[in-house]
Amino acid sequence: MSEKKHRVSRRQFLTYTLTGVGGFMAAGMLSPMVRMALDPALEASGGSDFISVGIGEDELTGEPQRVDFNVEIVDAWHTSEQSQSAWIYKEGDEIVALSPTCTHLGCTVNWDANEDYPGNYFCPCHGGRFEKDGTNIAGTPPTRPLDIYDVEVRDGMVYLGQTNER
Amino acid sequence: MKWKMDQIEMYSKAKEYVDTAIIPLTPVQWGKDEKNIINMGEYTNYLSDYIERQFTGRVFLFPPFTYLKFESKEEKIRRLVEWDKHLYQEGFKYIMYITADSEWKIVEKKLPGELIWLPAISTETTKTDQFKKTIQEQVQQVMPLFSLKWQEEPTERED
Repeated sequence: MSEKKHRVSRRQFLTYTLTGVGGFMAAGMLSPMVRMALDPALEASGGSDFISVGIGEDELTGEPQRVDFNVEIVDAWHTSEQSQSAWIYKEGDEIVALSPTCTHLGCTVNWDANEDYPGNYFCPCHGGRFEKDGTNIAGTPPTRPLDIYDVEVRDGMVYLGQTNER
Repeated sequence: MKWKMDQIEMYSKAKEYVDTAIIPLTPVQWGKDEKNIINMGEYTNYLSDYIERQFTGRVFLFPPFTYLKFESKEEKIRRLVEWDKHLYQEGFKYIMYITADSEWKIVEKKLPGELIWLPAISTETTKTDQFKKTIQEQVQQVMPLFSLKWQEEPTERED
């Protein structure tokens, strides 16, 4: 028994202990950092849920129409449903769904809303304009196109996913 | 933009574009008719929120101006004019008040800013989807008022 005890020298014991304790401390410090670095990646995969917007594929035309749908959002400890909108139309076989949020300062744009600019999305705040496909029109305040939704069709119904910057 | 911490950074970046303040006018009263009073406030909140969403980049939605329902007209007006004056001096050239309380309609001419009064729809008896839709339709009709105001020169305030 006593021989076995002496196989670990005082120096070795201290080294082991300190390495062990130091390792724990380092892990304690590093793990939140690693988690923070990974967090955005984890969130992105969670945000790609598709939501039905209550319109069938066959109801779409070449003219953008507005759809409203509800998304659950968590604001501090309060969970609520927020309504969101999209301008949606069909070009050939492709369905295009655009976010109505002006890329200038976040007002809501409307299709064909200003008499002077038919066939444009018009922002009522500072006169920003976009083409039907969401391209920003030069000479108006916005500097990039409207965000575009991921679109899926399931059983003939249109589902929208997350919005993407272009 | 809203009365929230995460919006103030956005505001400081876009200050020169934000020239309009929205103040909801919300009455308070207890013991009598409080159901109607609460409904007015709730409705005004929804309405202001939805208007803010349409004009996020140009308007700032302030917390409601609250008053006791039986506060004298003169006093209410005096206090609101103080708010108005303060915000005007700090750079909001257009100031809109939103309310469901018809008493403001009577004294509208004494107010320096623009009053938007709409009778409250009951949030109790209307289904959520129907309610949202009605708010949307009402706001669609109110929006041209903003556009019109913005085309005019802002109303000067007396010192």
